Amino acid sequence: MKIKAKLLLVAMLALSLFVAGCSSSSSTNEEESGKVVLKFLHKWPQPEFAPYFEEVVKEFEKQNPDIKIKMEAIADEPIKDKLRVILGGNEVPDIMFSWSGEFARKFVRADAALDLTPYLNEDAAWKDSFIPASLQPFSADGKNYGIPLRFNGKFFIYNKEIFEKYNLEAPKTWDEFLDVLETLKKGGETPIILGNQSPWAAIHYLTGLNQKMVSQDIRMKDYNPGSGEFTDSGYVKAMEMFADLNKKGYLMKDANSSSHDMAKQLFFAGKGAIFYVELEEFADADKNMKGNWGFFPMPSIEDGNGSQNYITGAPDGFIVSSKTKHPEEAIKFLKFLTSKESALKLVEQIGWPSPIDGATNPDTALKEVAEGVDFMKQAEGMAEWLDTDVHAKVADVYLTNIQLLLDGSKSPEAIIKEVQDVAKQVQSEVE
Amino acid sequence: MTRTFRNRRTALLYILPALFLILSLVFLPIVLNLYNSLFRWNSFDPGRTFVGLEYYIRLFKDPVFYTALKNNSLYAIISLVFQVGGGLIIAAILEDKLIRRFQPFFRTIFFIPSVISIAVVGLLWQLLYNPEVGLVNGALKAIGQAEWAHSWLGDSEVAIYAVVAVSQWQYTGYMAMLFLIAMQKIPFEYYEAAMIDGASRIKTFFNITVPQIKEMLLVGSVITVIGAFKVFDEVYIMTFGGPGRSTEVLGTMLYRSAFRNDEMGYASTIGTIVFVITLTLSLVQLKLGKSGQEV
Repeated sequence: MKIKAKLLLVAMLALSLFVAGCSSSSSTNEEESGKVVLKFLHKWPQPEFAPYFEEVVKEFEKQNPDIKIKMEAIADEPIKDKLRVILGGNEVPDIMFSWSGEFARKFVRADAALDLTPYLNEDAAWKDSFIPASLQPFSADGKNYGIPLRFNGKFFIYNKEIFEKYNLEAPKTWDEFLDVLETLKKGGETPIILGNQSPWAAIHYLTGLNQKMVSQDIRMKDYNPGSGEFTDSGYVKAMEMFADLNKKGYLMKDANSSSHDMAKQLFFAGKGAIFYVELEEFADADKNMKGNWGFFPMPSIEDGNGSQNYITGAPDGFIVSSKTKHPEEAIKFLKFLTSKESALKLVEQIGWPSPIDGATNPDTALKEVAEGVDFMKQAEGMAEWLDTDVHAKVADVYLTNIQLLLDGSKSPEAIIKEVQDVAKQVQSEVE
Repeated sequence: MTRTFRNRRTALLYILPALFLILSLVFLPIVLNLYNSLFRWNSFDPGRTFVGLEYYIRLFKDPVFYTALKNNSLYAIISLVFQVGGGLIIAAILEDKLIRRFQPFFRTIFFIPSVISIAVVGLLWQLLYNPEVGLVNGALKAIGQAEWAHSWLGDSEVAIYAVVAVSQWQYTGYMAMLFLIAMQKIPFEYYEAAMIDGASRIKTFFNITVPQIKEMLLVGSVITVIGAFKVFDEVYIMTFGGPGRSTEVLGTMLYRSAFRNDEMGYASTIGTIVFVITLTLSLVQLKLGKSGQEV
């Protein structure tokens, strides 16, 4: 009898330990005191960005004493894994970071993202405050699922001193671009700096080239996981154009061995003439090169089937979990985050271009950043990052093979063939 | 009779918590993993589709799987040669009576790499391997072998060797240390007797040292080989399986399937295969290890 009691005791002890371990983080004091707690997950823990978010959250909490924001930040690469892990559990944040395009649509397909269309329609002033091209990439089937926080475009920046030395101007067409590169190469310069250790760097070239070479309808059909075929000849041509840059010796040598950051340092040190960067890196360029730089968008391609007046880029932003218990409060916070005041502060404090119309202007931002945003406003549309705009498995084939294209061990045809095979496989898996 | 019975019941009582933990944290996940590998599912979507053995069939047709297996085997073989073979030689040299008084110094030098965190080691070597600013190419140029300079981690032909080499740099000293400890337990009389009989140094090494530390050699080899099939972090940090998929090992292949390509079922399949491989290797260890009492 005594032993049975002991046995029971031990079993209960073990069980309670186990249960306690599983449920440590559920209820918090704030909930008990009647406050609404919102969990907020973003991807900027870096010391130069995090203070901005802390300030905004503090300000919001001051204005809304009944809402408490529990903020968490995880860096760019790890958040890709983190989002996958938390979505499987019960601790899904109410508001979480997401890239636009396919990355966000993945949430939509899994019914994990809240449809924000009614909230946007309800408040026309809020909806109209966004530059239209920044909301569109977060939509699926005509509904809005995400709110953009920053707007990003990809541009070539160039070293003015080197360009002046050879009497060069920013090229407008691809042929002019090739001429510029040829002149630079003949002069003994490294025409283009590229760090492709993380292959998204080269994929960003392909993002623009694909968009300019393939007509919009076909490309959108192919980028949709349910109907992707990638049989248009433009895909091979786009990749050949990029491979040619390498074959002709216009790209930096051993691009696969350098990270993007390392490449950036080389460019800042004047070791190359042209570098393909995002708008958010402009501030960094200006700090390091002090006016000795200019920029131009990807040149247009005469015989391309796509629209030539597109800009490569996409907004980053937030989606709201479909499981949230407090959608009203979550929207309230997002409205605060994208209010004109917050947006102005974002531009001024950390130099990111904002999707809020008018927030990025010569007074708040660097002259070049404001010009870049103007380019994006005038553009017909945005070509979203290829690696987040297609299904993850297709993106993976593109990403891994682009390195082999650069070290010469695979041909464009072979790579696109592989893309087609994976696209077919994906098609059969996505209902 | 009742007494032993009672004792057994009491013993069970003490084992129970540990048993419970092992069952729930080790055995249950293994079974669950096997079960999970039969479904197509991703973490975004709660729904799952039963696919049976489809993923196993796909895995054995997947060329990347064979690249990974080849790379893991390369890891194992090269590590055996350098870490166990090289470690043994280093240990023997350090134990030699001519060098022994400098031993603490060398021991520390050789041991240091193995205590540095792998994340740091990975980033450090990434820099050393850089073709432009890296020390490796710089050193090659300095000794007049500029044509050996390479884009070490960026060339799909040589990247895997560059990654494996880092492991050798890091753990050879560790192995040497294990062997040294074993060697120091050998009674000095054996060597004295051999000296009186006029045996050469090489001969004493093969006839006294090696047989006396056989157990440790065995353990070292098994740790190395199993480690080679579980390797993940060095590759993840230095190349993430690239360029292309040329440095992919089973660990990174699993990670990529689960957390990049959203194929949890396929990842579970790879996990099962890793389990089968390491289990087989462990069983071999148990069988070989039966001869000895130490360890």
